[in-house]
Amino acid sequence: MKLTAYYWERTKRYRSAMAGLEFIVFLIILAAAGPFFTVSPTHVDFNEKNMPPPGFMLEQSMYNASSGGFVTTVQHGSWAHPLGTDGMGRDMLAMLISGARVSLLVGLLATGIAIIIGALIGITSAYFGGAMDSILMRATDIFMTFPFLLLLILIVYLFGSSLTLIILAIGLTGWTGTARLVRSETLSLRTREFIIASKALGASHLRIIFYHLLPNILSSIIVLATLSIPGAILAEAALSFIGLGDPQVASWGNILNAGQGSLQTAWWVTVEPGMMLFFTVLAFNFLGEGLRQAFEPGGD
Amino acid sequence: MDKPLYEQYFNYISSLLHGDWGWSFGTSMPVMELIKTHWVYSFQLVLLSSIFAIVLGISLGIFTAVKKNSRADHIAAFFSFAGISIPHFWLGIMLILIFSVRLGWFKTYYDTSLPMLSLENLYALTLPVLTLGTGMVAGYSRYVRSAMLENMGKDFVRTARAKGLPESTVIGKHVFRNAMLPVITIIMLDMSGIVFGGAYITEVIFGIPGLGWMSLKAVFADDYSVVMAVTLIGAFLTLLFNLLADIAYTCLDPRIRYE
Repeated sequence: MKLTAYYWERTKRYRSAMAGLEFIVFLIILAAAGPFFTVSPTHVDFNEKNMPPPGFMLEQSMYNASSGGFVTTVQHGSWAHPLGTDGMGRDMLAMLISGARVSLLVGLLATGIAIIIGALIGITSAYFGGAMDSILMRATDIFMTFPFLLLLILIVYLFGSSLTLIILAIGLTGWTGTARLVRSETLSLRTREFIIASKALGASHLRIIFYHLLPNILSSIIVLATLSIPGAILAEAALSFIGLGDPQVASWGNILNAGQGSLQTAWWVTVEPGMMLFFTVLAFNFLGEGLRQAFEPGGD
Repeated sequence: MDKPLYEQYFNYISSLLHGDWGWSFGTSMPVMELIKTHWVYSFQLVLLSSIFAIVLGISLGIFTAVKKNSRADHIAAFFSFAGISIPHFWLGIMLILIFSVRLGWFKTYYDTSLPMLSLENLYALTLPVLTLGTGMVAGYSRYVRSAMLENMGKDFVRTARAKGLPESTVIGKHVFRNAMLPVITIIMLDMSGIVFGGAYITEVIFGIPGLGWMSLKAVFADDYSVVMAVTLIGAFLTLLFNLLADIAYTCLDPRIRYE
């Protein structure tokens, strides 16, 4: 616990890391509490489509059936929809909050799955060595040669695009980097005196792995996990962006995909979710980089 | 199709080696022909983006390493973080929004009728290259900077300075050459990820008919032989660039020799 406090003090010195952390906490609160204060993100209202945020206006020529010609209407934003509405009249703010939920869920769960698989494979491989090491590492090599995004697209296309499946797919394809890192860290620890000593004292393999090896590589795992979250979030966003996202939920990628068609008129539909994605990814990158520097021995 | 699985697999592999990559039902042409017409679009995009990213990334990396901890370094660090973090598909859309829709400097889609080796084509590829290249520039400049800094503290650099060599020679010859070793490996290993990661989506946004665009269409059309072929190419490229990275490493650093 003392060590945690020590590292926390060190991380606190990096202002960008702290800013990142603050943004992430803000996003978590927003995702958790936001839906209670906004309208439903799936509420469609065609009378209010493509409403700009307040302060902006949108000129649209619309076909008027009674006069038989085009009339130019000016659409003003209203405070009922502080971030505007999309092409189907859905409230952007509500959709962005729903998207924050999706992105955080994907980022944390998919990375969690990937890290657990990667750590298990990496540790087993390095700790037991020999044939086990060869088999697991060759398997990892083979897995790494697959084009990652194409693999994701294939999985999601073949088995249907539900959020659960997307999270599983990202998690199950993203563990190779962790496996390699954990393996190399374990290899360098395996022959240290304290491991050999506990082996001599008759500790079981499981005890050595969980009480001696894992705590010592935990800092690298935490850094890698933080820096992998953006990748998972972006993978989901990219999938949704090309139209393979879960159609049941409003994720940032889905909104981007829908807004791409109305780029000429409703620019805010693509600008807003992209901004959220950008800041979220930036926040995790800043935090990860700060943690990396804080965990580095003597790195100032 | 009624043969056992291993026999089907054997048939597939042997026809692959004979140049028969199967038949694309979505487009009614041999997969080989399809790849032949599409690969060049991916190739030009990746090539131009790589040149852009390598030139700019390396210069930026050297500059920030030399001016370590200066104001310019901090600004560059911030921008490279932004560059790494910006989702490139969103960057692409924003570039289209600003430069094509608002300013009207470029077309909103890629015009395939342009001859491949022409200035118009180069101009048309500006936005796609920026889209794909920004993240690469940001990443490479970070690698180069840290590799340069690592070498700057070494003894041979102090020796070179002590001999009274001009700073430009010390940086350009002694530090840079040594710093490039890990950078080249990283660039090589990145490459296959770029072809089937970044370039993929960039092609989709700008409507460039490259391998990524083609394979996405194939996925949606259940055109399995195309998807298989593209996956195979992806795996092949990964292996190829791994091999190239190893070869480059031994060529550049004579200390490393594989027995």
